[in-house]
Amino acid sequence: MNPRIIGANLVVKLLNFSREKTTMFFVIAFPIILILLFGTIFMSQDNVEYHLCVQDLDQTKSSAQSIKTLELDGKFKITRVDPAVNATQYVRDNKVNLVLIIPKGYERSLMQRMMLSDPNASVTITYIYDPSSSSVSTKMQILNSVFAGINQTMSGKPPFIRSVERSILTKKYRFIEFFVPGIIAMAVMTLSLFSTVDSDTELRQKGIIRKLSTTPITRTDWILSNILYQFILGVICTIAMLLVSYAVFNVSLHIDAWLLAFILLDVFAFVGIGMILTRFAREAQSAAAAANAVSLPMMFLSGSFFPIELMPGFLQKFAKTLPLFYVNEGLRAAMVFEDNMAALRDAAIIGVFAAVVFILGIVATKWEEDK
Amino acid sequence: MTKETEYVIEVDKLTKRYGDLLAVNEISFTVSKGEVFAFLGPNGAGKTTTVEIIETIRRPTSGKVTLLGMDVTKKKHDIVPRIGVLPQGFSSFDRITVRETIQYYSRLFCCINTDIDGLIELVNLKDKTKEQYKNLSSGLKQRLGIAIALVNDPEVVFLDEPTTGLDPRARHEVWEVLLGLKKEGKTVFLTTHYMEEAELLADTVAIISKGNVIAMGSPRELIENNANYLALTLQSVDGKVFEIVRKMGFEPVLDNHKNVAVRVGHTYDVQEILNAIKDAGALYLGLDVRKPNLEEVFLKLTGEALREDPPEMEPK
Repeated sequence: MNPRIIGANLVVKLLNFSREKTTMFFVIAFPIILILLFGTIFMSQDNVEYHLCVQDLDQTKSSAQSIKTLELDGKFKITRVDPAVNATQYVRDNKVNLVLIIPKGYERSLMQRMMLSDPNASVTITYIYDPSSSSVSTKMQILNSVFAGINQTMSGKPPFIRSVERSILTKKYRFIEFFVPGIIAMAVMTLSLFSTVDSDTELRQKGIIRKLSTTPITRTDWILSNILYQFILGVICTIAMLLVSYAVFNVSLHIDAWLLAFILLDVFAFVGIGMILTRFAREAQSAAAAANAVSLPMMFLSGSFFPIELMPGFLQKFAKTLPLFYVNEGLRAAMVFEDNMAALRDAAIIGVFAAVVFILGIVATKWEEDK
Repeated sequence: MTKETEYVIEVDKLTKRYGDLLAVNEISFTVSKGEVFAFLGPNGAGKTTTVEIIETIRRPTSGKVTLLGMDVTKKKHDIVPRIGVLPQGFSSFDRITVRETIQYYSRLFCCINTDIDGLIELVNLKDKTKEQYKNLSSGLKQRLGIAIALVNDPEVVFLDEPTTGLDPRARHEVWEVLLGLKKEGKTVFLTTHYMEEAELLADTVAIISKGNVIAMGSPRELIENNANYLALTLQSVDGKVFEIVRKMGFEPVLDNHKNVAVRVGHTYDVQEILNAIKDAGALYLGLDVRKPNLEEVFLKLTGEALREDPPEMEPK
């Protein structure tokens, strides 16, 4: 191993990269676009507000107060529907998925129950809904729980079962804070894998590797400089993503040495996989296809974009065999939960994996011509 | 310790197989210090395989190859710093400039005293130092490749098809650089399928065909030993000259331009033919007498012509 040679190779790679404007744009801009896109989607989910149409057929103070209560709950933005309108037709014509109908006699029945304690006095609220809408069942669940609360209060008895929410985290986190570490892991993976595969096949096809094999640079020097190069790009990419996340979404993430450690392990693991793929898929097109075949399942099944708990059981088991899952978990343990033991456990798992594939990658990388 | 011998390169019964394909078949030759040695043969003859084995890029199937007194299969790390290589179809990093590329390779050899400007001047790239590799023409790329092959001031320079694919002007520019190396006394191992390149540059030419070295010697020796005749061409105005030469017992050939070509053994045969034409009152517009070249030697030895790829046009 010769540090001068590694340094010379690193400088050339960085110079070449800095002059490839398109590549540079996609390496840095693509993860930032993902952060902005998914961040915006998930941020709105954290403060979700549903649109609710209400038709008040009673037109009394009590019915108006009830509508106000729904509005103040913060979950609904209310649109009032003219009592003369046919609610079913209104749903069809206005492309809304739910109209809640407060019946005529609402206030009278309420007074009977409240003042006269008549247990038979009740009202029936009607939901006119479009079952093809995906959010309508959520709306109805929320409305049912609101009405259950009102019924409970009116019964005059304290509830038997109460619930209390207690987060395992000391701070309140939003989904974006769980999302950013996953995108960092995914971006570094993509960068390392595709860059290794693209660069190695291109340099081999152009004969640059053959020329290099007639110089004192060794296979180890070449691979180490490649690791350093990918690590530097990974760090630049991560800094860009974090800056955007802080500036746009005001995220609250813990940054320490674990972040660099996981970027390095991510780079080692996927440069190793890239070197193995390059050995078996020597043409640029087949190598890129092989890299896609590896990266796509990793992206979608290892919990970068959404929690693996949303997947069927067998896919959850499969997800836990993927290296990116442990990078995701490790980064979240370090950046969100600040759990050093969990980060250490995940680092150990991905570290062993990285060591194995990296050694296999070194063995697979042919420096001399093999035919 | 490595053993320095009088020969810089010694190849002894070298064989290389790719599966069932026999690429190089028990070839042997030596190259002396300061010699320009050309390996001449058509595409697929085994030139590149042989040179890549000597350069330590490939491993032989059998036979022994020593370079600078060292076994190429065992002493790669000792050999590599002492040689310079321009591989076939040389390429480099697209967005690195001429100067940066030379500096990069110089650093790979850990050379702190490389005369970058001297190399740039040697290959005549002075006004292209800030040009990125991808913007260079084919000829300029090859000249850069030669400069890179010299960054470590090598004892032996290998140039594998340095002018293939270049147009005639670019080819002549590369030849000028190679003649400069020859003047400096560098040992150069050149592979080519251009006869004029071998004739112009080489002290020794080895003709290789189908994995076998079929002839070896200086260009003059090869021609004298294998094509010992004179080629007389007469520019005739009618069929009389052809008939006169034929009746004298020679075997003339008439081409579409009414040129009569005939091989003769000695200069007095030429005189005899010219006298016969004069005596018969026939006319000819011009004549050319020349010795045969390596092309004719190659044709005679192998029965096949050296294939030439169409030259690449220089970008404007």
